Amino acid sequence: MLRATLTFLLLSSIGETACSDPEPVGFPVLAGFEYKEGMTLPKEVTDLDERVVEIRGFMRREFAGSGPVNSFMLINDACGCNGTPMMNEIVFCTLPEDVTMDILPGVVTVTGKLYVGEEKEDGDVILIYAMDADTVTAN
Amino acid sequence: MRLLLLAVVATPLLAFWPTNGQHPDQWEKHVRKACESRRFGIRLAAAKRVAEAGAEAVPAIQAYAKSKGRNALPASLIDAIADSDTTSPETESLLQNWAEDRDFFWRASAMRGLALRAVGLPKGSPDNQAQTAARIALFEKYREDPAWKMRTGARLGLALVAADDDAARAVFALPEADPRARVRLARLYLEHGRTPPLQPLIDALADQRTFMDIPWGPRLGLEASKALNAWLGADFPKLVGGDYAKSIAAILAAAKKKSGQELTVPPTKTDPAVEAIGGIELASCKFGDQFVQWLADGTLKFGIDGGRTAKLPSEPWQKLLQQQTALALKKNSGVVVCDKMQVVLIDPKTRVNIAPESLPAEATEWLKRLVLTLEEANEAGLATDLRRGLGQFERR
Repeated sequence: MLRATLTFLLLSSIGETACSDPEPVGFPVLAGFEYKEGMTLPKEVTDLDERVVEIRGFMRREFAGSGPVNSFMLINDACGCNGTPMMNEIVFCTLPEDVTMDILPGVVTVTGKLYVGEEKEDGDVILIYAMDADTVTAN
Repeated sequence: MRLLLLAVVATPLLAFWPTNGQHPDQWEKHVRKACESRRFGIRLAAAKRVAEAGAEAVPAIQAYAKSKGRNALPASLIDAIADSDTTSPETESLLQNWAEDRDFFWRASAMRGLALRAVGLPKGSPDNQAQTAARIALFEKYREDPAWKMRTGARLGLALVAADDDAARAVFALPEADPRARVRLARLYLEHGRTPPLQPLIDALADQRTFMDIPWGPRLGLEASKALNAWLGADFPKLVGGDYAKSIAAILAAAKKKSGQELTVPPTKTDPAVEAIGGIELASCKFGDQFVQWLADGTLKFGIDGGRTAKLPSEPWQKLLQQQTALALKKNSGVVVCDKMQVVLIDPKTRVNIAPESLPAEATEWLKRLVLTLEEANEAGLATDLRRGLGQFERR
């Protein structure tokens, strides 16, 4: 918890976005459509590209393990109730370089610059939402 | 001559060569990627590729599970196979083995996969009829499973193989205490092109409830809204921004018109005014989920919706309350893969996740005393369930 608090303070003190007003965005918008690979994403999500936003959700590790992380997935499901999340139900968040924090249980609010669009690796779509996360706060 | 010899040798080999041109070793590589890549997106893409290969990839999946253990297979791979269109006997056999393994983390996903394939069950010859009967027996066996996703999968299978509408309706009429299960069954059935009783989906639209600040009600609302949106298509109304009541009324009207069902305006469900001061969530793929919250006056609420209550006698409860700091854990404990326990206190503010066999002794002792007090309050059934659920989290 102390590490999380320190991390939060550290994150709050860096990054210009902490001083601006991030736009609240919810999963009902991000995940509110049936995603198919190669589709034209709805305007309401493409409009969010490169905007500084705040999103409430649940932190989840990209890979099972323990200890602090530099990147994590933000999803809309605390309990894995929905099974594997769809691509448009995941925001892949990356903290600033050299910053790590513990995965916080419960609802968190993440702020930072959101990037929207399919990113591919070896021809496969590996994400459509990515965020340079500046702050993570437990609610 | 050499060419002729090559042709003679190669012909039998080619007969067994995978049809889509992948060398068997390639499937080993894809399975490894689906299980081990550190990037979630890559794991998903590989899982999809493996799932779509059907029977061809099954030996590689089995080999991986044999060498690393069945629970080394990630949920994303099982989900991809369950939701794929592959219907090879090898794939179905794999799903059945997984579904029947009580220790397999993702058995509910496997059950859903079997259910989704239920409409294609063969009929006609006695052998085919026996196969169909065996599958129905499997669904019957698990339709009351303690894990809600498992019983939902089994019930979906029963509904999809039902001989007629009345038989399907009987499945939807089975008692179900968990609101997540009611919505999920209706949603999956709807996605399969059949219309279930829609009221659970309509009700979910107005569900604002939380469990210790986890907004499970709104999440159900989103699930229901997406399902209704896909089903109604162009008839899904343009929603009134910020006005839930008007939006729900518009969806209700469209759903009534398309289904012909008598649907009622759902009451908005919110949390009660008296807030819990602590609680635990036990999420278990094996034993089922349990939710317990306690109020300052010694009232315990059970279930995600707090639908069942019990009152502890004042004196032992006050003692427990004084020692509640035993639950004020500072950090998460253990590596959570599937089952987990979440401990929440309002004061001191605490929220931690605990993996199986990782609950510190002091917290374990407090919870055991809670169970004992519950037993003394003549709530033996609730106490037994809770004791069983807690057992797997006690530190060994």
